[in-house]
Amino acid sequence: MAVKVISPGLSTSVQDLGRPGYYHLGIPEGGGMDRFATRIANLLVGNDPGAALLEATFMGPELEFTEAATVAVTGGELPPKVNGEERPTWESFPVKAGDRLSFGYLKGGARAYIAISGGIDVPVVLGSRTTYVLGALGGFEGRVLKAGDELPIGAGSGKAGKSLPANLRRPQISPAELRMLPGLYWHRITEAAGKRFFEDTWKVAPEADRIGYRFRGGAPLEFVEREQPFGAGSDPSNIVDACYPYGSIQVPSGTEPIVLHRDAVSGGGYMMVGVVISADMDLIAQLQPHTPAKFAPVTLDQALAARADNAKLMARAEEYLAG
Amino acid sequence: MREPITISFSGGSALLLQSNSSRFDEQFQKRIWSLATDLQAAPGFTETVPGMNNILALFNPEEIAPEEARRELTERWAKAQPLPRRGKTVEIPVIYGGQNGEDFKPWARHCGLAPLEAAQRHAAGTYQVAAIGAMPGFPYLSGLDPALAIARRSTPRLAVPVGSVIVGGAQAAVMPQTSPSGWHIIGRTNIALFDPHRDEPSTLAPGDIVRFTIEDVWL
Repeated sequence: MAVKVISPGLSTSVQDLGRPGYYHLGIPEGGGMDRFATRIANLLVGNDPGAALLEATFMGPELEFTEAATVAVTGGELPPKVNGEERPTWESFPVKAGDRLSFGYLKGGARAYIAISGGIDVPVVLGSRTTYVLGALGGFEGRVLKAGDELPIGAGSGKAGKSLPANLRRPQISPAELRMLPGLYWHRITEAAGKRFFEDTWKVAPEADRIGYRFRGGAPLEFVEREQPFGAGSDPSNIVDACYPYGSIQVPSGTEPIVLHRDAVSGGGYMMVGVVISADMDLIAQLQPHTPAKFAPVTLDQALAARADNAKLMARAEEYLAG
Repeated sequence: MREPITISFSGGSALLLQSNSSRFDEQFQKRIWSLATDLQAAPGFTETVPGMNNILALFNPEEIAPEEARRELTERWAKAQPLPRRGKTVEIPVIYGGQNGEDFKPWARHCGLAPLEAAQRHAAGTYQVAAIGAMPGFPYLSGLDPALAIARRSTPRLAVPVGSVIVGGAQAAVMPQTSPSGWHIIGRTNIALFDPHRDEPSTLAPGDIVRFTIEDVWL
């Protein structure tokens, strides 16, 4: 069983729930940027939630199936079509041998997750099938899909007509509110600049991808004067290289915050003003360029409560699909 | 008195421990390695990422409360003894200068040295891998002759080729893959530093000794 790539879309790659445990070798966890949509798409077609699927950004691919399968599309509103006929999102549907799956224009969100019963059976590299494009590893030949690729599909059988109702999905609110924990370099920016950071409405810049989301439109940060540490770069935003987890907010040159996402490197020399809480990282994955967003400070307890709420949302959806 | 370290949360599931000194200290780095090993067995901690002068410890807040994790990290750091790790020695032959080392001459000039002399001093050093990070298999090397230090470029290059031998600030490194970088390119090597299909994907590990040898110098 295989799926032929007729056209790849803008940036479509094989993803799963990521490759944890290799930060110390400089390899990020990666995986589907919208974890909720990744897991649900798989469950809708009867796969393990961590099976490999396709993540399509802004624009869908066109695929041809060599054998019958069950398919589901979740995440951003990218309407699937089978041989030109529209199919619902968040609901599994059947495809026959020779069928073509294509997509209409994106109506909302940024990333769609296309799960196929049996999962995409590319080789496991360092514990995962996730594509890490920067490191050219995992997925299909370590890169985004190209026309002519043939993706191997594992054995599996899903049931068509399985769906997740809207009230069990994560709501997308505009302007997006990105909750964050102010970080250890917060003291390096002036009090007034810190206040402005939260008051301003930012917009997602065109440079928004799996590595990071850049935001634009707010006031530049003003830094407190300091003595430049040895080994750090000359800009006031430079620090001695440190490790940072995904979600970290860097502000190179103090002008435009970048929220590091799933494919971000594990360290670097720019200061972090804070970290977007894990519960809101799926939300960022679905932001299109030019979407307004605000940053909101939370306490550690609030962050943990949000994390628990997020886990509950996932558990409720999984329970519904299991029942 | 100033605390020698700062421990701070990086979000709700990570702690960063870093030295308050901005200078590299071998003994401090050896304690970092020791802590990294120790934390692998600590309940609730999922991953440790030793950096240069710092270490990031990831934990699962469902298994260990953040304040508990901070206490744990603080206590384990207090007990961490310098790990006398001296790993394998890896020789890296370098072609200095030419089109594969475009910053070679300006770097030598900045250091006030003739190009050949700069290459010789770079190759005379004994380097140790302080940490791996930033990209798959990227080694942060300590041991650069202070006379060879140079501030990073103000504008990073978008694609520094794999195998580039680079210096940035007081640090030396080799590019394991083609990637953006703001460091200065002084030469090129053919040694592969990273291969995901090997049992040990990264050629270098913290504690390893690196020696650069002169294969050629383009003047």
